[in-house]
Amino acid sequence: MRHLVLLSVAATLLSLMPLPGCKSMPPPPREPQREQIAKGKEVFFNETFNGNGRTCGTCHPAQNNFTIDPTFIITLPANDPLFVAEFTPDLRRNFENPRLMREFGLIRENLDGFDDLENKFVMRGVPHVLGLRTSVTSPQGPRTGWSGDGAPGDGSLRSFAVGAVIQHFTRTLNRIPGVDFRLPTDAELDALEVFMLSLGRQQDLTLPLPLKGTIAKRGQAIFLDNSLGKCNLCHVNAGATADFGGGNIGNANFNTGVENLPDQPPDLTGERVPPDDGFRTPGDGTFNTPPLVEAADTGPFFHNNAIDTIEGAVAFYNGVSFNSSPAGQALARVDPNGVGIRLDATQIVAVAAFLRVINALENIRVGIELLEGSLRARSPEEAKELRERAIRETDDSIGVLEGGGLHPESLAHLREARRLTKKAIHSLFFGLKHTRKAIGEQRKARALLVEIPVS
Amino acid sequence: MLRVLLGVLGIGILLWGGTPYAHGQKATEMFIPLGQSPGVSHRVTVMGRIEAVSAPARTITVAASAGTWTAEVTDRTRIWLDRSKLRLPSQEGAFADLQKERLVEIKYEDDGRRGRGPAEWIKVEEPGRGLQ
Repeated sequence: MRHLVLLSVAATLLSLMPLPGCKSMPPPPREPQREQIAKGKEVFFNETFNGNGRTCGTCHPAQNNFTIDPTFIITLPANDPLFVAEFTPDLRRNFENPRLMREFGLIRENLDGFDDLENKFVMRGVPHVLGLRTSVTSPQGPRTGWSGDGAPGDGSLRSFAVGAVIQHFTRTLNRIPGVDFRLPTDAELDALEVFMLSLGRQQDLTLPLPLKGTIAKRGQAIFLDNSLGKCNLCHVNAGATADFGGGNIGNANFNTGVENLPDQPPDLTGERVPPDDGFRTPGDGTFNTPPLVEAADTGPFFHNNAIDTIEGAVAFYNGVSFNSSPAGQALARVDPNGVGIRLDATQIVAVAAFLRVINALENIRVGIELLEGSLRARSPEEAKELRERAIRETDDSIGVLEGGGLHPESLAHLREARRLTKKAIHSLFFGLKHTRKAIGEQRKARALLVEIPVS
Repeated sequence: MLRVLLGVLGIGILLWGGTPYAHGQKATEMFIPLGQSPGVSHRVTVMGRIEAVSAPARTITVAASAGTWTAEVTDRTRIWLDRSKLRLPSQEGAFADLQKERLVEIKYEDDGRRGRGPAEWIKVEEPGRGLQ
């Protein structure tokens, strides 16, 4: 028995050692910003800035697509720093609304000033931070946060963390730098910016995609039809930029009437939620445009988490609130029939199906990238982390397709990819083999969604 | 035809929604001490001691390392008292807080008119021990 144990230990050690003469994986390509990204990642997930215990990752956790929602929130322990208002006496009043946080994933923000904490605040959802490279820039300056004015200083993504630390990381409502928190250093801001820009897509899609699914394909056609869905005007290529025919104007702000929805979920609780006036102080009622590729697995939707499902979010544009809003009225004015957006139920579902499929394609792209990265990992820990992230992406792709009843044949491959990835994580000797097979399954799944040859 | 209509629509939307430069969320700006505002301090702001105050003209003149600068204080100008060195919270200020000899940081509305135009915000260091 003892011999068996020794042999097993020896075999394990041997498997971890590079064998001379064997072809090993090439080293990871030297990316100029790799170290800066790693530093930014460290700050993003671990740096509390001497505040209340929160980090950027508290509200933008990697395991939940860098956002939070009630389903994720309920999995957190009671002492998670997200709930700091529930257990820190100095933050019990006027810092968060624990009920609205837990029920709707809403965060309290004092966007119009800190002079009347009791009455001047808004409740907002947490936007994900994926695809920022394609979604923040506008000719008028960078647009961050839900209303496009989410950063102090120069308003840039780099400066965003400073505002976040002051608003969300403070130990008391006095918000004194050096007492309640420390401000990020220039080096930390540089690293955070590089890290955030590295997340998710680095470029927009080019639509139309050669989709295979009948409903998703129809949804794409409606999306791109400037006389029917009109979606592509403000979400060019399902991203976050606008083009009304005179060229792309970058990320833009619109008043789409979300604040006029008759049944705002937080209002139904009886909790006091002042209206959100959007961009600037006083606000002009506008909010900026989020990218749509990542939408289906990052709900709830809109700045106030008003709608839970992607179908509901598409249907919003068919309703009275949008069509009577400044944006809806502008669309109606240039429509030959005076219509803003009018879609029927099947068309709403088709657009949502399209958004689900492009989200799944992005999940698959990232999943493959992570799995390929795990083949080149410099340590078993790094490989494990990359594979675990790949599993989360796969879960998302399964979730968004399953939620719309889409592509069951592709789902089978995604489930198999997930199983193989999990096996790779737990395998001592066949991690690479299982990973390669998982990549193959991801590619097969993708090939069933879009016309791309299986390689 | 549709392209023309969409162009008109675009201009229309830009006119009401395409606001001027997105300066950033000002609310948290008040808690950032003088000289530490990211991306603007030591780049586009002016820091120095107030040399003169004209209440009728609503202007202040500041002696900075690069010369003398004037700023107009309008109804839009935000004034904040930076009390961080006293380990006290920042406060909303008023024109009356802009007194001679006080250290201030000025962010102009238009960076191109730095040194003569209206101020977007002015941070005033609250005098305390060692600061007077």
